[in-house]
Amino acid sequence: MKTDINTKILAIDTSCDETSAAVTQGVRILSNIVWSQASLHAEFGGVYPSLAQREHKLRIDWVINKAIQNSKIEFKNLDAIAVTVGPGLAIALGVGIDKAKELATKFNKPIIEVNHIEGHLLSPFARSRNEQSLIVDNQFPALGLVVSGGTTQIILAERLGKYKILANTVDDALGEALDKGARLLGLGYPGGAILERIARDGKKNSYLLPIPMLGRENLNRFSYSGLKTALVRLVEKIKKEKGQLSQTDIQNLAFVYQDAAFTHLIRVLTYIIHNSNIKINDLFVGGGVGANVYLRNLLRKMAREENLTIHFPYSKILFGDNAAMIGVTAYFSYQRRNYLKSKEISKIDRSPKFRIDSI
Amino acid sequence: MKIVKKEHISVDEIVNVLQNKGLVIMPTETLYGAFVDATNIKAVAKLNEYKARPFGKPYSVAVANQQMAKEYVEINENAKSLYDSFLPGPLTIVSKGKHQVAKGVESEKGSLGIRIPDYQLVIDVINKLGKPITATSANASYQKRPYRVEDILKNISLKQKKLIDLIIDAGELPHLEPSTVIDTTLDDPIILRQGDIKIKDKNEVLSQSVENTQNLAKNLYQKYEKHLDQRAIIFALEGPMGAGKTVFTKGLAKAMGIDEEIVSPTYDLMLNYESENKKSELVHIDAWRMLTSSEFEDLGINKMISDKSVFAIEWAEKVSGVIRKYNEDAVIVWIKIEYPNSDQENERKITWGVL
Repeated sequence: MKTDINTKILAIDTSCDETSAAVTQGVRILSNIVWSQASLHAEFGGVYPSLAQREHKLRIDWVINKAIQNSKIEFKNLDAIAVTVGPGLAIALGVGIDKAKELATKFNKPIIEVNHIEGHLLSPFARSRNEQSLIVDNQFPALGLVVSGGTTQIILAERLGKYKILANTVDDALGEALDKGARLLGLGYPGGAILERIARDGKKNSYLLPIPMLGRENLNRFSYSGLKTALVRLVEKIKKEKGQLSQTDIQNLAFVYQDAAFTHLIRVLTYIIHNSNIKINDLFVGGGVGANVYLRNLLRKMAREENLTIHFPYSKILFGDNAAMIGVTAYFSYQRRNYLKSKEISKIDRSPKFRIDSI
Repeated sequence: MKIVKKEHISVDEIVNVLQNKGLVIMPTETLYGAFVDATNIKAVAKLNEYKARPFGKPYSVAVANQQMAKEYVEINENAKSLYDSFLPGPLTIVSKGKHQVAKGVESEKGSLGIRIPDYQLVIDVINKLGKPITATSANASYQKRPYRVEDILKNISLKQKKLIDLIIDAGELPHLEPSTVIDTTLDDPIILRQGDIKIKDKNEVLSQSVENTQNLAKNLYQKYEKHLDQRAIIFALEGPMGAGKTVFTKGLAKAMGIDEEIVSPTYDLMLNYESENKKSELVHIDAWRMLTSSEFEDLGINKMISDKSVFAIEWAEKVSGVIRKYNEDAVIVWIKIEYPNSDQENERKITWGVL
């Protein structure tokens, strides 16, 4: 059996808004197609997220064909097909799973089931097509931080494939909190990216917003709904006094809101690092919010202070939902012989609440 | 295909090409764009062929000013403040379209992204043409972002090259990010509101805390629980952002004997929880991100609605028309959470009744 660094995998991810397919060879990305407005390919204009199952169905063949075409690999030369089985919206996951089964049967390929959160967690392992040095050091046990629209988790990776969730959100996810904050400031949807852009011109401490769970970091929880409510109240107050928000107000509020959200994140993370029984040397960061430059700078600063090596994905497209990270994760599973032969694939089912600690 | 240096071409020459359904590649403040007359079907068809675009992907359009934008989209309050603060600049604002552009330019749902480039040449061209032009990157779909004319030419076929009528070369552009897209249509009450909600036997309480709100949820669940076994129960939750709709649902879950943490379903759209005794299921839905009520129905409500299911639907007012359709299958409890006019941060006015 081939488990070498040249294992070629077609990966499919339809867990939420984005329809994505990629071809990977070991940890190298040969192609990575993401149909979404939030991706690099959004260009000037775009579509907003279309959530329905039929949208995935409309796009999936085109996306897969494009991924195959760009990779210059033929279906018959693939070693396996990888597909996200959860977590995510059941009807959306189903589209990717059905397509993976159809292709696996047609070309007689095994299927590797992938957890979407593990995909984000391992996204820093992905390398570009031309990368020569492919040696992966043993960085485990390591900490993982996955921050996206739907997930805010700190994960202990004991080794590849064995994880514990150390902290989770009890209400809103970080990405959702940023999108909603942007919306409250009248910045439209999805607003996380524009919030970041506008916050660059805002002043620290120009307004006061509470840092969530301050002093209660030992509970190992994230909570963003209270911060959101505090912003609602603050915006109302300013509007009552001044009629409407000025551009400077929006910039300042964007800064303090983002800053409070990130401070909470870093405080919980630092608490966990300080109180870990296991010596941690590495921190892996994945998920759409990781594309936020201000957050990355805060994390780098923290990593320096804590003496950790921090690993981010090498390209912006790998932060958001994408199938290349699913391919890379599947490659590691394949090495552990964790896959189903084409005859056994009827067992595969969608798993909307698939937890990374139950892999 | 003709390539001309920017300093050697006049606005009139460019406009002339566009008027003749031509495809022009021009620099902007973000990158090189491919432009055609956005109101001309043939010109847009040519652009589609050039971009090798998949089915159903709309274009945003560039206009010269807010005045012109108003002819093509409905600018709501949210959009207006964005236009005032951030345009011209690298921002694409999506609004409800007025169907004044060629077919395929607006999205299938009838929305249209508008940009006002911060680049004088493009503005001059639009002003002279008197119509919007498509604003899309000059690369073929899923190719490198074009900061130089060579970036484009290198990655396209001979056939694609033949579709270009004119290229205006301004050398290498600064490597700036493409424009950010933001959608303002989610706030549009005209599209979303599905009629006023009339509640029978209206009740009202003032909640002082998170615990108060959760206790109310528990009481309401216990009041309507007896209907389970015959019908589903739908708790339709309405209230502004941060009011505590998820907090209320946490209370419901506790009353139902669900131990799992209830988190916001905004991103996932729907999260299902089974009660410990497996006798009932909580379906937690968030309609905030939904643009049409068909997206709500597509979640498969039909299949899930049973005498064992309890639904908590946030932003229910956006899909109230569809919720009403389940009147036969479910007891629908409409709950409205509001910020009262007081300085008490934790106070909420909660009203409820059966639809």
